[in-house]
Amino acid sequence: MSMYIRVKRNKTTYFIQCDPTEKILGIKQKLNVLIDQPVNDQQLILFATGEVLEDSKSLAEQKVENDTIVALTLRKDGNEFEEVNIEQLNDFYQSRDTDAGNW
Amino acid sequence: MRKEDTVKLISAEGFEFVIDKEAAMVSQTIRNMLTSPGGFSETEHREVTFPEISTTILEKICQYFYWSLQYANGKETEFPIEPELTLELMMAANYLHT
Repeated sequence: MSMYIRVKRNKTTYFIQCDPTEKILGIKQKLNVLIDQPVNDQQLILFATGEVLEDSKSLAEQKVENDTIVALTLRKDGNEFEEVNIEQLNDFYQSRDTDAGNW
Repeated sequence: MRKEDTVKLISAEGFEFVIDKEAAMVSQTIRNMLTSPGGFSETEHREVTFPEISTTILEKICQYFYWSLQYANGKETEFPIEPELTLELMMAANYLHT
């Protein structure tokens, strides 16, 4: 394994092993195995910039590096893709203060 | 890539991390859960819940698993740890035998 990316949607993160020369389509095929969603119903978006990643381009070409966060959106019943939705744990520090026994 | 080769780790807040079994096995504790014959239900469902590990720490741990695999393959990078996470991370690592 040369690298991995973190694909996130809602409360789930998929760690996907990959290679810099691998095409985005290849990543979607791997995701298909995990989530049973056809490649055409997946959209991958570079989380830092909001850029939609293109199937035919490689990870390196689109500056997707090791440990990069990529957002996954799925096609809704209509034809549109859903909005990016990644749940974050914003109250982490706060909750830790009030509940010191929890790690 | 096969679904059977992945495991799902669930944090205290219910966030899920789907990682390669190979990566999860970096932890001796998880390795035992996944490989011991007929003991843990985790073996069958490939799902482990950690009610005492927060999401932030669990994600860091998953990143560490992959870093560890890369390092074993000769890549020499440092593993970054934010100072404020150190204590919790050590406690979790101790529990996970990592």
